[in-house]
Amino acid sequence: MLKLSALGKRFGTRWILRDLNLEVQTGECVALLGPSGCGKSTALRLIAGLEQPDEGNIELEGRPLLGIPAERRRIGMVFQSYALFPHLSVRDNLDLGLKVRGMAPADRRERIDAVLNTIQLVNEADRRPQQLSGGQRQRVALGRALLRNPSVYLLDEPMSNLDAQLRDELRPELRRLILQGPQPVLYVTHDQQEAMALANRIAVLRNGRIEQIGTPQELYFKPETEFVAGFVGRPQINWLNQTRDTRVGIRPEHLHPDDNGCRCRVIGREWLGASQLLLLESNAGQLQMLCSADYQPTEHLGVSWSPEDEHHFDPISGQRLNPS
Amino acid sequence: MPLMRRLLLTLIGLLLAGSIGWSGLQRPEEISILMPAPFADATVDQVKQFNADHSGRIVLNVIRGPRDTESISDLAISSLLLGTPPFDALLVDVTWLPKYVAADWLQPLDPWFDDADVDALVAGARLGNSVNGDLYRWPFGADVGLLYWRKDLMPEPPRTASDLIQIASRLRADGKVKEGFVWQGRQYEGLSCNFVEFLSAFGGTWLDPVTGQPELDSKAARATVHWMQQLIREGTSPLAVSNYAEPETLQAFKAGDAALMRNWPYAWAELQSDSSAVKGRVGVTTMVAEPGASPAATLGSWGFSLLRGSQHQQATAEAIRALTSSQAQRDRFLQQGYTPTEASLFEDPELLEASPVLTQLKEALAIAVPRPITPLYAQMSDLLQRQLSGVLTEKRDPDQAMEQLQGATITLLRSAGGES
Amino acid sequence: MNWLLALPALLLIALVFGWPMLRYGWLSLHASSVLTGLEPVPNQGANWARLLEDPRFWQDALQTLRFGVVSVGLEMVLAFAIALLLDQRWRGRGVVRALTLLPWALPTTMMALGWRWIFNTPYGPLEQLAQAAGLSPLNLLSNPDWTWFAAVMADVWKTTPFVTLLLLAGLQTIPDDLYSAFRLEGGKTRQAITAITLPLLTPYILISLLFRTAQAAGVFDLIQVLTGGGPAGSTESIAQYAYLNAMRFLDFGYSSTVMLAGFLLLSLVIATAALLLQMSRLLRPLKS
Repeated sequence: MLKLSALGKRFGTRWILRDLNLEVQTGECVALLGPSGCGKSTALRLIAGLEQPDEGNIELEGRPLLGIPAERRRIGMVFQSYALFPHLSVRDNLDLGLKVRGMAPADRRERIDAVLNTIQLVNEADRRPQQLSGGQRQRVALGRALLRNPSVYLLDEPMSNLDAQLRDELRPELRRLILQGPQPVLYVTHDQQEAMALANRIAVLRNGRIEQIGTPQELYFKPETEFVAGFVGRPQINWLNQTRDTRVGIRPEHLHPDDNGCRCRVIGREWLGASQLLLLESNAGQLQMLCSADYQPTEHLGVSWSPEDEHHFDPISGQRLNPS
Repeated sequence: MPLMRRLLLTLIGLLLAGSIGWSGLQRPEEISILMPAPFADATVDQVKQFNADHSGRIVLNVIRGPRDTESISDLAISSLLLGTPPFDALLVDVTWLPKYVAADWLQPLDPWFDDADVDALVAGARLGNSVNGDLYRWPFGADVGLLYWRKDLMPEPPRTASDLIQIASRLRADGKVKEGFVWQGRQYEGLSCNFVEFLSAFGGTWLDPVTGQPELDSKAARATVHWMQQLIREGTSPLAVSNYAEPETLQAFKAGDAALMRNWPYAWAELQSDSSAVKGRVGVTTMVAEPGASPAATLGSWGFSLLRGSQHQQATAEAIRALTSSQAQRDRFLQQGYTPTEASLFEDPELLEASPVLTQLKEALAIAVPRPITPLYAQMSDLLQRQLSGVLTEKRDPDQAMEQLQGATITLLRSAGGES
Repeated sequence: MNWLLALPALLLIALVFGWPMLRYGWLSLHASSVLTGLEPVPNQGANWARLLEDPRFWQDALQTLRFGVVSVGLEMVLAFAIALLLDQRWRGRGVVRALTLLPWALPTTMMALGWRWIFNTPYGPLEQLAQAAGLSPLNLLSNPDWTWFAAVMADVWKTTPFVTLLLLAGLQTIPDDLYSAFRLEGGKTRQAITAITLPLLTPYILISLLFRTAQAAGVFDLIQVLTGGGPAGSTESIAQYAYLNAMRFLDFGYSSTVMLAGFLLLSLVIATAALLLQMSRLLRPLKS
């Protein structure tokens, strides 16, 4: 189990990360989700020991990590850039750490062969990183982390350099190689869809502080803050024109056509296959609606929703108002 | 292709010459002279005067070259090699003359300067201006090596080589002065200048005046080099003189750290300046000589030479005469301290009053000795400098050095004899 | 087809480089000096025969080599250390970076004069220091065995900034992540230099080496001003010898021979170095 307590880091007087409390259980994958600059990569670097926190504690399997140098922390880290050594072959990239740690050549060979098998790069073992595809490079980076036999995995945006199709292909791979293992995994991403797809729990970070921690379902159905409501869920949540002292959000998928509902005019649409996304103009403001029926722009229709699907927030504090 | 180009250039040249010829009836002749910066600065007034006197007829421009002798030589040679230098005359150092004549760059000055002009010169200034009987250079000022001595440390300057060592050792032993004798021992032309004077002090010569053969392994030459080595070995001169040029030498003497200095006349004004620690305590004399040998003063000096390719020879010769006139020499002596070349000026009461060392300068000029006059002088001097530098820094044995030097110099001169 | 695209560049090289080389080659087969009135007269390879038996040329070649190897070597080591330092983040780095470049911006002759002053006995700062420390005068410029090192010191002072700049540019292309990854793999900072920094910097090191070797092989103004080639010719370089022959002796035939021979020797040195490097690359897979 990985436990972060009141972790904080600042550069000068600016806090990059503050009051981070988080537990990642054995076999669990927690995603740190947030826009760029929210401090999520810094959190990983603190855990890895590449930087030192200004306050708080980190514990791994009940033992404090602070004070232990990075090279002795048994961390399996995958960098966003993959950080492969461009002057070494795939095999040498994997070998470097083992060699530095003084493992016998025969043992090294055996373990590398096994990992090459796992990451299915046996035939590419003698190639250099620039001769590999993006997906292959990512697998080398994963393989390097695997070889460390770590107590925890830290993945820093491992998919962000890949195109959408490749990401879909690699998700099962990632599950097979890392997520199914017993080690806690901390997965940093700015892509809520990826977080939802891979993580058991998600921690949404904003300006160095956690907004909410919960399962994907909790975040989706019961966002604790206005920010989480807006950040989680695609297409994005609709914000209704403010009528009371409350900020009201309703998700596009929770709207449905209803002749007695709010009068709207279709001003645009996106065809998504099974459904379409309509852009509507109404008294309540501009709304997005997912629906299966076919409407054309300039058509008029009525729209309604059930009140329990509404999300209410305090406009000043951004905190959730309506109970579950 | 070169033929075509040459034809084309000739054609353009003819057209230009034609057009200039037509308009030349009204337009003044423009002439240029290349000079090292200090000389250019010293002649500003005289050039103004000349241009005023020749208004409408001649316009004289002075090209202000670099200050340093080597740099001005590089500039001059580069322009001369390109074929059409942008000047009609230039100031040349006394050692360059035979080389320039051999390269066929210069025009004799005989049509403009006759025997009477030469006879009017002070003895030292007559040397080094002619090659193979033709006059190629007219001296700008006189320049010879001098021995500076400290009047407050000794009643009389040393007259012999052994005197010099004795006086210096006694002064150093008494703690009166840090160094005895400073001179120019760096591996460069100045070392050859010093050597010529030292060699004469022991009765030797670089080349035999009759046979033209080198005399560098003679008894006198060996004694000279032993003595130079002894100067440093016994501490009369600091080892540092083996890297001293004129500025370093002057610096040590001016600071009051040396009893004796070998240098050129320019040093006098510097030593009398307010920044000098020895102002008013310096005497000037000629270099020492062993009994039976005659002291010598190496001839330095710059002079004007006319380029063979000049299109304005008559006008340029007039300019040279004006810049070296009695009046010009007098002005330059009084204002900048350049030693005059005309013998009568050394008796001029006004000049004598202005400078207490004019008499000594004349004495030194009377014993002026030029360095060997041959187009191969630069090579000869280079060979000499390397060997002497080796001796001064204890890298070579004096006798072996001179033996080798003699052999190398003979080989060099023989190669010239064989090929020319 | 591809070589056609390189044609303009090749032509330019031929023009600015090949033509003078051909000219030197041609002149080196002629006597052209004051003895021939500066006219080139064919002399059946006499210049080359003279060169082979000219101890001064070979001495100068060795001296140039010694100067080049030592000063380029020191420059590389120093520049690498300084570049590593400047690549770190610390307060005032910008100012120091700009200051480091200063020596490079100074004209060589000026800085050589400055160093001649520094080494001046007894008034230069170096001798003053030695005096203060109770040492006898160093006389660094009057020592045929060690004066060359004074030239090396001045050269290192002047050109280290240039190499530093090249290496710093190279260091900045190495992503920080690589060092982080290496640390997590268990590597120490000291090991990172040999495992990551040096291999990834190799192209930049090679470029600096090439530049500096070529420059050092042609060293001229620095030595001309600092020592004039002395004492006893112990610091004379090939370029200086060629210059002397041309501009002082007006012996253009022999000067061209010296120049060309110097260039051929330099090419030989560089080719040997390149070959050794190639061989060490080929051998590397066998070692691990």
